[in-house]
Amino acid sequence: MRNLTHNRESRKWLESLIELMLLFSGLISSLVMLAIFVFLVYFTMPIIARGDLLNLMSWNWRPLAGQYGILPMAIGSLFLAVSATLAAYPLGLGICCFIHSLGLRSVARFVLVIIDFMTSVPTVVYGFVSAFLLVPTLRQCFEHGTGFSWFAASVTLTVLVLPTIVLVIHTQLRQLGSESRLTAIALGISPAQTLLWVILPQASRGLVAAALLGFGRALGDTIVSLMVAGNAPQVPHSILDSIRTLTAHIALVVATDVHSATYHSLFLSGLILVTISAMVNASIRWIAGKSGAG
Amino acid sequence: MKRNRGICSIRVVLFVILAGCFACKTGWCDELDRFSALEGTLDIAGGTAHIPVMKDAAEKIMAKNPKIRITIAGGGSGVGVQKVGEGLVHIGNTGRPLTAAEIEKYGLKSFAFAIDGVAVAVNPKNSVNALTSDQVKDIFAGKITNWKDVGGADAPIHLFTRDEASGTREVFWEKLLKKGPIISAANVVPSNGAMKVALSQDTLAIGYLGIGHVDSTVKAIKLDGADPSQENASSGAYKVTRKLYMNTKGEPSPLSKAFIDYILGSAGQEIVKKHGYIPSQ
Amino acid sequence: MVRVSERLFVAAAWLSTLMTLAVVGIFVGSLLYRGLGTLGTSLLFGNVPIINALIGKLPVWHGIWPAIVGTLFLVLLSSTMAIPLGLASGIYFAEYAEGRWKDLLSFAVDLLAGTPSIIMGLFGFSLILFLRKAILPGANVCLLLAALCLALLVLPYMVRTTQVALESLPESTRLVGPSLGLTRWENIRHVLLPASSRALLSGVILSVGRAAEDTAVILLTGVVANAGLPASLTDKFEALPFTIYYLAAEYRTPEELDRGFGSALLLLVITVSLFVAARMLQGAFQREWQ
Repeated sequence: MRNLTHNRESRKWLESLIELMLLFSGLISSLVMLAIFVFLVYFTMPIIARGDLLNLMSWNWRPLAGQYGILPMAIGSLFLAVSATLAAYPLGLGICCFIHSLGLRSVARFVLVIIDFMTSVPTVVYGFVSAFLLVPTLRQCFEHGTGFSWFAASVTLTVLVLPTIVLVIHTQLRQLGSESRLTAIALGISPAQTLLWVILPQASRGLVAAALLGFGRALGDTIVSLMVAGNAPQVPHSILDSIRTLTAHIALVVATDVHSATYHSLFLSGLILVTISAMVNASIRWIAGKSGAG
Repeated sequence: MKRNRGICSIRVVLFVILAGCFACKTGWCDELDRFSALEGTLDIAGGTAHIPVMKDAAEKIMAKNPKIRITIAGGGSGVGVQKVGEGLVHIGNTGRPLTAAEIEKYGLKSFAFAIDGVAVAVNPKNSVNALTSDQVKDIFAGKITNWKDVGGADAPIHLFTRDEASGTREVFWEKLLKKGPIISAANVVPSNGAMKVALSQDTLAIGYLGIGHVDSTVKAIKLDGADPSQENASSGAYKVTRKLYMNTKGEPSPLSKAFIDYILGSAGQEIVKKHGYIPSQ
Repeated sequence: MVRVSERLFVAAAWLSTLMTLAVVGIFVGSLLYRGLGTLGTSLLFGNVPIINALIGKLPVWHGIWPAIVGTLFLVLLSSTMAIPLGLASGIYFAEYAEGRWKDLLSFAVDLLAGTPSIIMGLFGFSLILFLRKAILPGANVCLLLAALCLALLVLPYMVRTTQVALESLPESTRLVGPSLGLTRWENIRHVLLPASSRALLSGVILSVGRAAEDTAVILLTGVVANAGLPASLTDKFEALPFTIYYLAAEYRTPEELDRGFGSALLLLVITVSLFVAARMLQGAFQREWQ
């Protein structure tokens, strides 16, 4: 009897210890983000202290002339992520519609496998193939530009973010589909009609979340833009112009004098990126929250 | 145990040194023998014009001395200065002389080992063979945008430049462009090697790179009538030249010193020559 | 009217699917076409005899063997760091955290998942500069640092897959433990974790795949073009994704370009195999519980 009580005591003790350890791990995982944010702010501070903020927030990147504007890169990142999302979104939506109730079942399954396969392709391999296949083709087909361009990066990123978009929409459609299918059959309308008039209008949350996630993924990419976007620090006038993204900017100029404005511009770039991706995440969460309430 | 091993390794070192001396006396003394008593890792980074020479030398050294490990990274001259200055690598390469500020700030020591010209280059299919410095200036400033304005076909000019960490860019900008502007629409590539690849793939491209990197896949252009050959670069007939440097923070460590001595020695200078640069010794 | 819009809709769905399949086909086809012929021992070891290369007796300069070993080390190290922490955090989020507290913490993890990987690299790089000034003058970019930063990258994936796996277990399974008088932890340890083991393993494999393919992080934390086999945790290293990036930008000979295609194909095969394994485990998990 006494033995049992003792056992229970020690079990309780062990139980709390484990809970504490798990709590600790959870805290670490969450605090990493905070640490990254704090460090970015910390290294951005010297810019503000030195009054360089306006210089950095300008339109010319000419370090040799003392101009450190990173706005062209911010625009580059934004343009590229938006264009890739805009291109991938209708494609992704089309594929989802194909998978759900339009195409043949076996074909649909095959398409899903291909999409799954696409998620596992390393970014650098996309960049590599793009640099030796897409870029030379663009150069030959168009009068303007060298092939290393907004367009080349945009096409490559479209392929990169497509599976993200498809999988998010697909998950949502599958949930709604199983609920609506029987109703639709009972009403005697075709699968295409069901999808178009019944399921899609209900799926708005998933549709928005897919766009946001795709955008976040495109924004965060470094290697594709570094390899095929051309890296010219300018605001593009044409889709065939060369651009530089914030991520590529960090990769290109990370190794410079650590006391220079060039160096600190990296952290401002990082801060901008993290802030945008935080906003994207917050929006997704907000949408998901609404779905929970509604 | 640990002490034993220490004694043991001292013995080995002594033996190797003795063997080395003996080898020298018997006539098959090799430049590589200076490494035989050394071990450890030597990290090299920076100037991308240097990479072929560094890689070749490292390959030869490591094949004979398994205890030495040499790592090589590029990045450009700016990277070389920063990494060696911050102590992240042992030797930081630059394709330009260090500035007074850099020397003072980090306490760097420079070792020039080769002379290299910076050539303006185009694709071999391009019919343009010669340009004046003014034309090059205008091309990079964005004033001339079509090849027909400089005697070529009626086609747009595709500009390629290097990132700001590049020593090649700095030399080109100072000595050829006379600090004139480079328009921001120019594509940016991160190394001499990447510049060569870009020029060899694009028939309308123009860019600049170390003469040592010029091979049959790109065409170096006559500048103001002077052929951008290493001979003209060393004689002074071709003006846009620089030295290639290895830099250390303060006095080099024994391994760094051995490496620098090797590069500056006869075998190393052979390697320098083999890769198209002019030995500085 | 309705008919036309429906037709268009169907046509658009077919078109986008076919286009995507065509792009994937061209992508894989060109990689196979250029890469398949290069696969062989000379791709891996260059001109060095295989045995000498494998035991590290001779350094390999013209092959990708050191890069493969480097990537293997990176993956092993980062997994050792990220997997236990990710599992523990996932369990905490799924079984212990509640309400607003849970929302807050898991939002932070979501943010981490959405952070561009180059930021982790930048974090690692400046961390080293900071450490050198503050406490550890010998600190340097190295294998260990790169693995740490990669661990930060895959940590959120690990947390999420663990959490989702546990939360998707049916209520009937969750009640087994309590009904037998097991405590919360005993229930997790003896019922829930074994029940979700396949899904957990698939999460682990996905994280491994992510760590193996990322280039941006290692770009800033110590990868170099030539280093030979990794000698120690504090040394610089080669890695397969970086080799591909490097060769794409500056191949010097047609052979080096071929090596680039070979490396790209090889990395693709590695990540796809990992992925297939993960998917099979997940499938088995779902068949069992859903």
